Amino acid sequence: MTTARWSLGLVGVAAGLYGSWLLLSRQSGDQLVSAAGWLVGGVVLHDFVLAPVVLVAVAVAGRLAPRPVRAPAAVLLVVIGSVTLVAVPVLGAFGRRADNASLLDRDYWTGWLVLVGVLVVLVAVGSLVQRWRRGDGADPGR
Amino acid sequence: MRTRPPAPEDFRSRLRSAAVTSRVGLWLAVAFGVCFVTGLVSHYAQLPQQPVRFPASPAWGYRVTQGLHVISGTAAVPLLLVKLWSVYPRLFLRPSRRVRAVLVELAERASIGVLVASAVFLLASGLANMTAWYPWDFSFRSTHYALAWVAIGALVLHVAVKLPRIRQALGSDIDDDRLDRPSATEPGVLSRRGLLRTTWLAAGVAMVATAGNSVGWLRDVSVLAVRSSDGPQGLPVTKSARAAGVLETATSPAYRLSVEHAGRNRALTLAELQALPQTTETLPIACVEGWSENAEWTGVRLRTLLDLVGAPTGATVSFESLQESGPFRTSALPASFADDDRTLVALQVNGEGLALDHGYPARLIAPNRPGVRQTKWLSRVVVG
Repeated sequence: MTTARWSLGLVGVAAGLYGSWLLLSRQSGDQLVSAAGWLVGGVVLHDFVLAPVVLVAVAVAGRLAPRPVRAPAAVLLVVIGSVTLVAVPVLGAFGRRADNASLLDRDYWTGWLVLVGVLVVLVAVGSLVQRWRRGDGADPGR
Repeated sequence: MRTRPPAPEDFRSRLRSAAVTSRVGLWLAVAFGVCFVTGLVSHYAQLPQQPVRFPASPAWGYRVTQGLHVISGTAAVPLLLVKLWSVYPRLFLRPSRRVRAVLVELAERASIGVLVASAVFLLASGLANMTAWYPWDFSFRSTHYALAWVAIGALVLHVAVKLPRIRQALGSDIDDDRLDRPSATEPGVLSRRGLLRTTWLAAGVAMVATAGNSVGWLRDVSVLAVRSSDGPQGLPVTKSARAAGVLETATSPAYRLSVEHAGRNRALTLAELQALPQTTETLPIACVEGWSENAEWTGVRLRTLLDLVGAPTGATVSFESLQESGPFRTSALPASFADDDRTLVALQVNGEGLALDHGYPARLIAPNRPGVRQTKWLSRVVVG
Protein backbone atom coordinates (compact mmCIF):
# COMPACT_ATOMS: atom_id res chain seq x y z
CA MET A 1 0.00 0.00 0.00
CA THR A 2 1.15 3.52 -0.67
CA THR A 3 1.72 6.13 2.01
CA ALA A 4 -1.51 7.89 1.07
CA ARG A 5 -3.52 4.70 1.52
CA TRP A 6 -1.82 3.89 4.80
CA SER A 7 -2.55 7.39 6.11
CA LEU A 8 -6.17 7.16 4.98
CA GLY A 9 -6.48 3.79 6.66
CA LEU A 10 -5.02 5.13 9.89
CA VAL A 11 -7.43 8.08 9.86
CA GLY A 12 -10.25 5.55 9.51
CA VAL A 13 -8.97 3.42 12.39
CA ALA A 14 -8.57 6.52 14.58
CA ALA A 15 -12.14 7.69 13.88
CA GLY A 16 -13.45 4.19 14.57
CA LEU A 17 -11.56 3.95 17.86
CA TYR A 18 -12.83 7.38 18.92
CA GLY A 19 -16.39 6.25 18.16
CA SER A 20 -15.90 3.02 20.10
CA TRP A 21 -14.59 4.95 23.08
CA LEU A 22 -17.60 7.33 22.88
CA LEU A 23 -19.92 4.33 22.73
CA LEU A 24 -18.35 2.47 25.65
CA SER A 25 -17.66 5.39 27.98
CA ARG A 26 -21.00 7.20 28.09
CA GLN A 27 -23.56 4.53 28.89
CA SER A 28 -24.35 1.85 31.45
CA GLY A 29 -23.86 -1.88 30.91
CA ASP A 30 -27.56 -2.52 30.20
CA GLN A 31 -27.61 0.17 27.54
CA LEU A 32 -24.52 -1.27 25.89
CA VAL A 33 -26.06 -4.75 25.85
CA SER A 34 -29.11 -3.30 24.09
CA ALA A 35 -26.92 -1.49 21.54
CA ALA A 36 -24.86 -4.66 20.96
CA GLY A 37 -28.08 -6.59 20.33
CA TRP A 38 -29.07 -4.09 17.66
CA LEU A 39 -25.62 -4.13 16.07
CA VAL A 40 -25.47 -7.91 15.82
CA GLY A 41 -29.18 -8.22 15.06
CA GLY A 42 -28.93 -5.93 12.03
CA VAL A 43 -26.17 -8.00 10.44
CA VAL A 44 -27.86 -11.33 11.24
CA LEU A 45 -31.23 -10.11 9.90
CA HIS A 46 -29.63 -8.92 6.69
CA ASP A 47 -27.15 -11.71 6.01
CA PHE A 48 -29.15 -14.71 7.16
CA VAL A 49 -32.79 -13.65 6.74
CA LEU A 50 -33.31 -10.87 4.19
CA ALA A 51 -30.56 -11.87 1.73
CA PRO A 52 -31.51 -15.60 1.60
CA VAL A 53 -35.22 -14.71 1.27
CA VAL A 54 -34.41 -12.44 -1.69
CA LEU A 55 -32.16 -15.14 -3.23
CA VAL A 56 -34.89 -17.77 -2.96
CA ALA A 57 -37.58 -15.39 -4.23
CA VAL A 58 -35.46 -14.44 -7.23
CA ALA A 59 -34.62 -18.10 -7.98
CA VAL A 60 -38.28 -19.15 -7.79
CA ALA A 61 -39.50 -16.17 -9.83
CA GLY A 62 -36.74 -16.86 -12.38
CA ARG A 63 -38.20 -20.31 -13.03
CA LEU A 64 -41.91 -19.50 -12.82
CA ALA A 65 -42.24 -16.03 -14.34
CA PRO A 66 -42.61 -15.77 -18.11
CA ARG A 67 -39.52 -14.22 -19.74
CA PRO A 68 -41.01 -10.80 -20.63
CA VAL A 69 -42.02 -9.95 -17.04
CA ARG A 70 -38.72 -10.92 -15.39
CA ALA A 71 -36.90 -7.62 -15.90
CA PRO A 72 -39.81 -5.37 -14.81
CA ALA A 73 -40.39 -7.71 -11.86
CA ALA A 74 -36.74 -7.35 -10.82
CA VAL A 75 -37.00 -3.55 -11.02
CA LEU A 76 -40.16 -3.60 -8.90
CA LEU A 77 -38.58 -5.97 -6.37
CA VAL A 78 -35.64 -3.61 -5.79
CA VAL A 79 -37.72 -0.42 -5.66
CA ILE A 80 -40.78 -1.62 -3.75
CA GLY A 81 -38.74 -3.90 -1.50
CA SER A 82 -36.31 -1.24 -0.34
CA VAL A 83 -38.94 1.51 -0.03
CA THR A 84 -41.14 -0.82 2.02
CA LEU A 85 -38.23 -1.53 4.35
CA VAL A 86 -37.75 2.24 4.78
CA ALA A 87 -41.47 2.51 5.53
CA VAL A 88 -41.64 -0.16 8.27
CA PRO A 89 -41.74 2.39 11.14
CA VAL A 90 -44.56 4.43 9.55
CA LEU A 91 -46.55 1.42 8.30
CA GLY A 92 -46.39 -0.13 11.77
CA ALA A 93 -46.96 3.31 13.37
CA PHE A 94 -45.35 1.96 16.52
CA GLY A 95 -44.59 5.49 17.75
CA ARG A 96 -48.17 6.80 17.44
CA ARG A 97 -49.38 8.59 20.58
CA ALA A 98 -52.84 9.69 21.66
CA ASP A 99 -51.55 13.07 22.86
CA ASN A 100 -49.86 14.07 19.60
CA ALA A 101 -52.06 14.11 16.51
CA SER A 102 -49.34 15.68 14.35
CA LEU A 103 -47.11 12.59 14.55
CA LEU A 104 -47.71 9.73 12.07
CA ASP A 105 -50.82 11.55 10.87
CA ARG A 106 -51.29 9.93 7.47
CA ASP A 107 -53.02 6.80 6.25
CA TYR A 108 -49.76 5.04 5.41
CA TRP A 109 -51.18 1.75 4.10
CA THR A 110 -53.31 3.59 1.54
CA GLY A 111 -50.32 5.73 0.60
CA TRP A 112 -48.15 2.63 0.23
CA LEU A 113 -50.75 0.89 -1.97
CA VAL A 114 -51.05 3.97 -4.19
CA LEU A 115 -47.25 4.19 -4.45
CA VAL A 116 -46.99 0.50 -5.36
CA GLY A 117 -49.77 0.91 -7.94
CA VAL A 118 -48.09 3.92 -9.53
CA LEU A 119 -44.73 2.11 -9.66
CA VAL A 120 -46.25 -1.03 -11.21
CA VAL A 121 -47.95 1.03 -13.93
CA LEU A 122 -44.84 3.16 -14.61
CA VAL A 123 -42.47 0.18 -14.81
CA ALA A 124 -44.92 -1.81 -16.98
CA VAL A 125 -45.36 1.11 -19.39
CA GLY A 126 -41.61 1.78 -19.39
CA SER A 127 -40.76 -1.80 -20.21
CA LEU A 128 -43.42 -1.99 -22.99
CA VAL A 129 -42.08 1.21 -24.55
CA GLN A 130 -38.54 -0.14 -24.36
CA ARG A 131 -39.51 -3.40 -26.02
CA TRP A 132 -41.51 -1.65 -28.72
CA ARG A 133 -38.52 0.58 -29.48
CA ARG A 134 -36.19 -2.38 -29.85
CA GLY A 135 -38.81 -4.27 -31.81
CA ASP A 136 -37.33 -7.65 -30.95
CA GLY A 137 -38.83 -8.43 -27.58
CA ALA A 138 -35.60 -9.92 -26.22
CA ASP A 139 -33.93 -8.84 -22.98
CA PRO A 140 -36.22 -5.93 -22.13
CA GLY A 141 -33.97 -4.73 -19.31
CA ARG A 142 -30.94 -3.98 -21.46
CA MET B 1 -29.74 -31.69 -2.52
CA ARG B 2 -26.44 -30.14 -1.50
CA THR B 3 -25.79 -29.99 2.19
CA ARG B 4 -22.59 -27.92 2.23
CA PRO B 5 -22.85 -24.18 2.83
CA PRO B 6 -22.82 -22.05 -0.31
CA ALA B 7 -19.45 -21.05 -1.79
CA PRO B 8 -18.69 -17.89 -3.80
CA GLU B 9 -18.57 -19.98 -7.00
CA ASP B 10 -22.25 -20.85 -6.55
CA PHE B 11 -23.21 -17.23 -7.27
CA ARG B 12 -23.12 -16.99 -11.04
CA SER B 13 -24.88 -13.73 -11.96
CA ARG B 14 -22.58 -11.27 -13.74
CA LEU B 15 -24.49 -8.46 -12.02
CA ARG B 16 -22.55 -9.24 -8.85
CA SER B 17 -19.51 -7.41 -10.16
CA ALA B 18 -17.04 -4.86 -8.86
CA ALA B 19 -18.33 -2.64 -11.68
CA VAL B 20 -21.74 -2.47 -9.93
CA THR B 21 -20.38 -2.50 -6.36
CA SER B 22 -18.02 0.43 -6.93
CA ARG B 23 -20.65 2.61 -8.63
CA VAL B 24 -23.29 2.02 -5.98
CA GLY B 25 -20.61 2.25 -3.28
CA LEU B 26 -19.54 5.66 -4.51
CA TRP B 27 -23.03 7.08 -3.99
CA LEU B 28 -23.43 5.24 -0.72
CA ALA B 29 -20.22 6.88 0.48
CA VAL B 30 -21.60 10.27 -0.60
CA ALA B 31 -24.84 9.62 1.32
CA PHE B 32 -22.96 8.54 4.44
CA GLY B 33 -20.61 11.50 4.11
CA VAL B 34 -23.52 13.94 3.96
CA CYS B 35 -25.16 12.20 6.94
CA PHE B 36 -21.94 12.35 8.95
CA VAL B 37 -21.19 16.02 8.30
CA THR B 38 -24.78 17.19 8.87
CA GLY B 39 -24.93 15.02 12.00
CA LEU B 40 -21.79 16.70 13.34
CA VAL B 41 -23.38 20.11 12.62
CA SER B 42 -26.48 19.08 14.56
CA HIS B 43 -24.47 17.90 17.57
CA TYR B 44 -22.29 20.99 17.54
CA ALA B 45 -25.34 23.23 17.35
CA GLN B 46 -26.58 21.64 20.57
CA LEU B 47 -23.40 22.18 22.58
CA PRO B 48 -23.91 24.62 25.45
CA GLN B 49 -20.34 25.91 25.09
CA GLN B 50 -19.15 26.31 21.51
CA PRO B 51 -15.41 26.99 21.01
CA VAL B 52 -16.28 28.44 17.58
CA ARG B 53 -19.61 30.27 17.67
CA PHE B 54 -22.38 28.58 15.72
CA PRO B 55 -23.76 31.30 13.41
CA ALA B 56 -27.31 32.63 13.90
CA SER B 57 -27.60 33.24 10.16
CA PRO B 58 -28.94 32.05 7.85
CA ALA B 59 -32.02 31.33 9.94
CA TRP B 60 -32.83 28.34 7.70
CA GLY B 61 -29.35 26.78 8.00
CA TYR B 62 -30.23 24.07 10.50
CA ARG B 63 -33.44 23.36 8.62
CA VAL B 64 -31.38 22.54 5.52
CA THR B 65 -28.63 20.52 7.24
CA GLN B 66 -31.02 18.41 9.28
CA GLY B 67 -33.34 17.93 6.28
CA LEU B 68 -30.32 16.71 4.29
CA HIS B 69 -29.38 14.41 7.15
CA VAL B 70 -32.64 12.45 7.12
CA ILE B 71 -33.08 12.59 3.34
CA SER B 72 -29.59 11.24 2.59
CA GLY B 73 -29.98 8.61 5.33
CA THR B 74 -33.23 7.47 3.72
CA ALA B 75 -31.64 7.33 0.26
CA ALA B 76 -28.80 5.24 1.71
CA VAL B 77 -31.16 2.32 2.50
CA PRO B 78 -31.66 1.10 -1.11
CA LEU B 79 -28.03 1.90 -1.91
CA LEU B 80 -26.78 -0.19 1.01
CA LEU B 81 -29.11 -3.11 0.17
CA VAL B 82 -27.99 -3.27 -3.47
CA LYS B 83 -24.35 -2.90 -2.53
CA LEU B 84 -24.54 -5.72 0.02
CA TRP B 85 -26.39 -7.86 -2.55
CA SER B 86 -23.57 -7.33 -5.04
CA VAL B 87 -20.88 -8.56 -2.62
CA TYR B 88 -22.94 -11.23 -0.85
CA PRO B 89 -20.85 -14.15 -2.29
CA ARG B 90 -17.83 -12.84 -0.37
CA LEU B 91 -19.57 -13.77 2.87
CA PHE B 92 -18.91 -17.41 1.95
CA LEU B 93 -15.20 -17.10 1.05
CA ARG B 94 -13.24 -20.04 2.47
CA PRO B 95 -10.32 -19.04 4.70
CA SER B 96 -6.76 -19.36 3.39
CA ARG B 97 -4.42 -22.13 4.48
CA ARG B 98 -1.49 -19.85 5.35
CA VAL B 99 -1.43 -18.28 8.82
CA ARG B 100 -0.33 -14.84 7.68
CA ALA B 101 -3.05 -14.69 5.04
CA VAL B 102 -5.66 -15.84 7.55
CA LEU B 103 -4.75 -12.99 9.89
CA VAL B 104 -5.12 -10.44 7.09
CA GLU B 105 -8.43 -11.98 6.07
CA LEU B 106 -9.70 -11.94 9.64
CA ALA B 107 -8.76 -8.28 10.02
CA GLU B 108 -10.56 -7.42 6.79
CA ARG B 109 -13.65 -9.44 7.74
CA ALA B 110 -13.75 -7.76 11.15
CA SER B 111 -13.54 -4.28 9.61
CA ILE B 112 -16.30 -5.14 7.10
CA GLY B 113 -18.39 -6.59 9.92
CA VAL B 114 -18.02 -3.38 11.91
CA LEU B 115 -18.91 -1.31 8.83
CA VAL B 116 -22.03 -3.30 7.99
CA ALA B 117 -23.21 -3.54 11.61
CA SER B 118 -22.78 0.17 12.30
CA ALA B 119 -24.26 1.21 8.93
CA VAL B 120 -27.38 -0.93 9.39
CA PHE B 121 -27.66 0.28 12.99
CA LEU B 122 -27.49 3.97 12.01
CA LEU B 123 -30.11 3.67 9.26
CA ALA B 124 -32.50 1.48 11.26
CA SER B 125 -32.27 3.48 14.49
CA GLY B 126 -32.54 6.79 12.60
CA LEU B 127 -35.68 5.71 10.74
CA ALA B 128 -37.29 4.44 13.96
CA ASN B 129 -36.33 7.55 15.94
CA MET B 130 -37.96 9.81 13.33
CA THR B 131 -41.30 8.19 14.17
CA ALA B 132 -40.78 8.44 17.95
CA TRP B 133 -40.46 4.64 18.11
CA TYR B 134 -37.78 3.62 20.59
CA PRO B 135 -37.67 -0.20 20.84
CA TRP B 136 -34.34 -0.16 22.71
CA ASP B 137 -32.78 0.64 26.08
CA PHE B 138 -29.79 2.70 24.94
CA SER B 139 -29.67 6.47 24.61
CA PHE B 140 -30.45 7.17 20.96
CA ARG B 141 -28.53 10.42 20.79
CA SER B 142 -25.21 9.26 22.19
CA THR B 143 -25.29 5.82 20.55
CA HIS B 144 -26.23 7.15 17.10
CA TYR B 145 -23.45 9.73 17.45
CA ALA B 146 -20.77 7.27 18.64
CA LEU B 147 -21.63 4.73 15.94
CA ALA B 148 -21.53 7.45 13.29
CA TRP B 149 -17.82 7.83 14.12
CA VAL B 150 -17.39 4.06 14.03
CA ALA B 151 -19.18 3.77 10.67
CA ILE B 152 -17.32 6.65 9.02
CA GLY B 153 -14.00 5.31 10.35
CA ALA B 154 -14.72 1.80 9.03
CA LEU B 155 -15.84 3.34 5.72
CA VAL B 156 -12.63 5.34 5.32
CA LEU B 157 -10.57 2.24 6.18
CA HIS B 158 -12.57 0.19 3.66
CA VAL B 159 -11.93 2.78 0.93
CA ALA B 160 -8.21 2.82 1.79
CA VAL B 161 -8.01 -0.97 1.51
CA LYS B 162 -10.01 -1.17 -1.71
CA LEU B 163 -8.75 2.00 -3.40
CA PRO B 164 -6.82 0.42 -6.32
CA ARG B 165 -9.75 -1.89 -7.10
CA ILE B 166 -12.28 0.96 -6.81
CA ARG B 167 -10.23 3.11 -9.20
CA GLN B 168 -9.86 0.26 -11.65
CA ALA B 169 -13.57 -0.55 -11.56
CA LEU B 170 -14.73 3.06 -11.85
CA GLY B 171 -12.19 3.71 -14.60
CA SER B 172 -13.31 0.86 -16.85
CA ASP B 173 -16.49 0.28 -18.80
CA ILE B 174 -19.40 -1.00 -16.79
CA ASP B 175 -19.59 -4.22 -18.82
CA ASP B 176 -15.87 -4.89 -18.51
CA ASP B 177 -15.41 -8.31 -16.85
CA ARG B 178 -11.72 -8.23 -15.95
CA LEU B 179 -12.48 -7.70 -12.24
CA ASP B 180 -15.24 -10.30 -12.07
CA ARG B 181 -15.12 -13.62 -10.26
CA PRO B 182 -14.50 -16.38 -12.86
CA SER B 183 -17.86 -17.99 -12.06
CA ALA B 184 -19.86 -14.75 -12.46
CA THR B 185 -20.72 -15.14 -16.13
CA GLU B 186 -24.48 -15.75 -16.26
CA PRO B 187 -26.40 -12.78 -17.71
CA GLY B 188 -28.96 -11.36 -15.26
CA VAL B 189 -32.54 -10.40 -16.13
CA LEU B 190 -31.32 -6.81 -16.04
CA SER B 191 -28.16 -5.41 -17.56
CA ARG B 192 -25.62 -3.84 -15.20
CA ARG B 193 -26.78 -0.43 -16.37
CA GLY B 194 -30.35 -1.53 -15.80
CA LEU B 195 -29.54 -2.55 -12.21
CA LEU B 196 -27.81 0.78 -11.53
CA ARG B 197 -30.75 2.76 -12.93
CA THR B 198 -33.10 0.66 -10.81
CA THR B 199 -31.00 1.44 -7.73
CA TRP B 200 -31.07 5.18 -8.42
CA LEU B 201 -34.84 4.92 -8.97
CA ALA B 202 -35.25 3.16 -5.61
CA ALA B 203 -33.19 5.82 -3.81
CA GLY B 204 -35.17 8.58 -5.57
CA VAL B 205 -38.54 7.06 -4.72
CA ALA B 206 -37.48 6.56 -1.08
CA MET B 207 -36.47 10.24 -0.87
CA VAL B 208 -39.57 11.66 -2.56
CA ALA B 209 -41.92 9.40 -0.59
CA THR B 210 -40.57 10.66 2.75
CA ALA B 211 -39.09 14.14 2.22
CA GLY B 212 -42.37 16.05 2.61
CA ASN B 213 -41.40 16.41 6.28
CA SER B 214 -38.76 18.95 5.40
CA VAL B 215 -39.45 19.92 1.78
CA GLY B 216 -42.82 21.67 1.80
CA TRP B 217 -43.76 21.28 -1.87
CA LEU B 218 -43.34 17.50 -1.65
CA ARG B 219 -45.92 17.27 1.12
CA ASP B 220 -48.71 15.99 -1.10
CA VAL B 221 -46.65 13.26 -2.77
CA SER B 222 -44.69 12.15 0.31
CA VAL B 223 -47.16 9.45 1.22
CA LEU B 224 -44.72 7.86 3.68
CA ALA B 225 -43.64 11.06 5.47
CA VAL B 226 -43.75 10.79 9.26
CA ARG B 227 -45.73 14.03 9.46
CA SER B 228 -47.97 15.82 6.99
CA SER B 229 -46.53 19.05 8.49
CA ASP B 230 -49.86 19.98 9.97
CA GLY B 231 -50.81 20.32 13.60
CA PRO B 232 -52.23 22.87 15.99
CA GLN B 233 -51.82 26.35 14.42
CA GLY B 234 -50.37 24.79 11.26
CA LEU B 235 -47.27 23.44 12.99
CA PRO B 236 -46.30 19.88 13.93
CA VAL B 237 -45.51 19.00 17.55
CA THR B 238 -42.68 16.77 18.78
CA LYS B 239 -43.47 16.76 22.51
CA SER B 240 -46.98 17.53 23.69
CA ALA B 241 -47.87 19.47 26.83
CA ARG B 242 -49.41 16.29 28.25
CA ALA B 243 -46.24 14.27 27.62
CA ALA B 244 -44.17 17.03 29.23
CA GLY B 245 -46.49 17.06 32.26
CA VAL B 246 -47.10 20.80 32.16
CA LEU B 247 -50.91 20.91 31.63
CA GLU B 248 -51.50 22.42 35.08
CA THR B 249 -48.44 24.59 35.60
CA ALA B 250 -48.67 26.17 32.13
CA THR B 251 -52.30 27.20 32.58
CA SER B 252 -52.06 28.19 36.26
CA PRO B 253 -52.87 31.83 37.18
CA ALA B 254 -49.72 31.70 39.32
CA TYR B 255 -47.56 31.46 36.17
CA ARG B 256 -44.57 33.81 36.15
CA LEU B 257 -41.58 34.04 33.84
CA SER B 258 -38.56 34.74 36.00
CA VAL B 259 -35.70 36.71 34.39
CA GLU B 260 -32.52 36.64 36.46
CA HIS B 261 -29.07 38.19 36.30
CA ALA B 262 -26.50 38.70 39.07
CA GLY B 263 -28.98 38.89 41.93
CA ARG B 264 -31.52 40.98 40.00
CA ASN B 265 -34.76 39.20 39.35
CA ARG B 266 -37.98 40.14 37.54
CA ALA B 267 -41.01 37.84 37.65
CA LEU B 268 -43.44 38.62 34.83
CA THR B 269 -47.02 37.46 34.36
CA LEU B 270 -48.29 36.67 30.88
CA ALA B 271 -50.16 40.02 30.88
CA GLU B 272 -46.96 41.84 31.76
CA LEU B 273 -45.13 40.03 28.95
CA GLN B 274 -47.91 41.02 26.56
CA ALA B 275 -47.61 44.64 27.68
CA LEU B 276 -43.93 44.82 26.67
CA PRO B 277 -43.08 45.92 23.07
CA GLN B 278 -44.00 43.08 20.69
CA THR B 279 -41.98 42.03 17.62
CA THR B 280 -42.91 39.63 14.82
CA GLU B 281 -40.33 37.45 13.07
CA THR B 282 -40.70 34.73 10.44
CA LEU B 283 -38.47 31.87 11.56
CA PRO B 284 -38.41 28.15 10.86
CA ILE B 285 -38.77 25.57 13.57
CA ALA B 286 -36.58 22.61 12.58
CA CYS B 287 -36.68 19.40 14.58
CA VAL B 288 -33.73 17.00 14.88
CA GLU B 289 -36.13 14.32 13.65
CA GLY B 290 -36.13 16.03 10.28
CA TRP B 291 -39.40 17.94 10.03
CA SER B 292 -39.30 21.69 9.64
CA GLU B 293 -41.80 24.46 9.03
CA ASN B 294 -41.73 28.23 8.75
CA ALA B 295 -43.94 30.24 11.08
CA GLU B 296 -44.62 33.83 12.06
CA TRP B 297 -43.71 34.29 15.72
CA THR B 298 -44.76 37.26 17.81
CA GLY B 299 -43.42 38.09 21.25
CA VAL B 300 -40.87 40.01 23.26
CA ARG B 301 -37.32 40.39 21.98
CA LEU B 302 -35.02 38.46 24.29
CA ARG B 303 -32.84 41.59 24.49
CA THR B 304 -35.79 43.60 25.87
CA LEU B 305 -36.16 41.09 28.71
CA LEU B 306 -32.43 40.99 29.41
CA ASP B 307 -32.38 44.80 29.61
CA LEU B 308 -34.98 44.64 32.41
CA VAL B 309 -32.35 43.03 34.65
CA GLY B 310 -29.39 44.97 33.22
CA ALA B 311 -27.73 41.92 31.63
CA PRO B 312 -24.76 42.66 29.38
CA THR B 313 -24.44 41.42 25.80
CA GLY B 314 -22.04 38.59 25.03
CA ALA B 315 -23.34 36.24 27.72
CA THR B 316 -24.74 32.73 27.41
CA VAL B 317 -28.38 32.62 28.54
CA SER B 318 -29.99 29.53 30.02
CA PHE B 319 -33.65 28.72 29.57
CA GLU B 320 -35.67 26.50 31.86
CA SER B 321 -38.97 24.87 31.11
CA LEU B 322 -41.93 24.14 33.40
CA GLN B 323 -41.32 20.55 32.37
CA GLU B 324 -40.05 18.75 35.47
CA SER B 325 -37.75 16.20 33.89
CA GLY B 326 -36.27 15.12 30.59
CA PRO B 327 -32.99 15.91 28.85
CA PHE B 328 -34.42 18.98 27.10
CA ARG B 329 -35.89 20.68 30.16
CA THR B 330 -33.17 23.31 29.95
CA SER B 331 -31.23 24.83 27.10
CA ALA B 332 -28.16 27.05 27.01
CA LEU B 333 -28.38 29.71 24.33
CA PRO B 334 -24.93 30.89 23.19
CA ALA B 335 -24.36 34.65 23.10
CA SER B 336 -24.42 34.83 19.28
CA PHE B 337 -28.09 33.82 19.44
CA ALA B 338 -28.99 35.64 22.65
CA ASP B 339 -27.77 38.93 21.16
CA ASP B 340 -29.53 38.41 17.83
CA ASP B 341 -32.51 40.74 17.35
CA ARG B 342 -34.57 37.95 15.82
CA THR B 343 -34.44 35.88 19.02
CA LEU B 344 -37.79 36.11 20.78
CA VAL B 345 -39.62 34.90 23.81
CA ALA B 346 -42.65 34.11 21.67
CA LEU B 347 -46.21 34.45 22.95
CA GLN B 348 -48.01 33.95 19.62
CA VAL B 349 -47.56 31.92 16.48
CA ASN B 350 -49.22 32.59 13.12
CA GLY B 351 -51.34 35.33 14.67
CA GLU B 352 -52.77 33.36 17.61
CA GLY B 353 -51.70 32.87 21.21
CA LEU B 354 -49.41 29.81 21.43
CA ALA B 355 -51.26 26.50 21.66
CA LEU B 356 -50.40 24.52 24.80
CA ASP B 357 -48.50 22.01 22.67
CA HIS B 358 -46.41 24.79 21.15
CA GLY B 359 -45.24 26.06 24.54
CA TYR B 360 -47.99 28.30 26.03
CA PRO B 361 -47.60 30.72 27.72
CA ALA B 362 -44.10 31.53 26.36
CA ARG B 363 -41.38 29.76 24.40
CA LEU B 364 -37.95 30.52 23.03
CA ILE B 365 -37.54 30.93 19.28
CA ALA B 366 -34.14 31.76 17.79
CA PRO B 367 -32.84 31.56 14.22
CA ASN B 368 -30.80 28.57 12.98
CA ARG B 369 -31.30 26.43 16.10
CA PRO B 370 -32.26 22.78 16.58
CA GLY B 371 -35.96 22.70 17.53
CA VAL B 372 -35.28 20.60 20.60
CA ARG B 373 -33.33 23.55 22.05
CA GLN B 374 -36.15 26.04 21.39
CA THR B 375 -37.41 25.58 24.94
CA LYS B 376 -41.20 25.51 25.39
CA TRP B 377 -43.27 26.42 28.49
CA LEU B 378 -40.55 28.79 29.70
CA SER B 379 -40.28 29.33 33.45
CA ARG B 380 -36.84 30.89 33.95
CA VAL B 381 -34.38 32.87 31.87
CA VAL B 382 -31.00 33.09 33.62
CA VAL B 383 -28.06 35.13 32.36
CA GLY B 384 -24.47 33.99 32.92
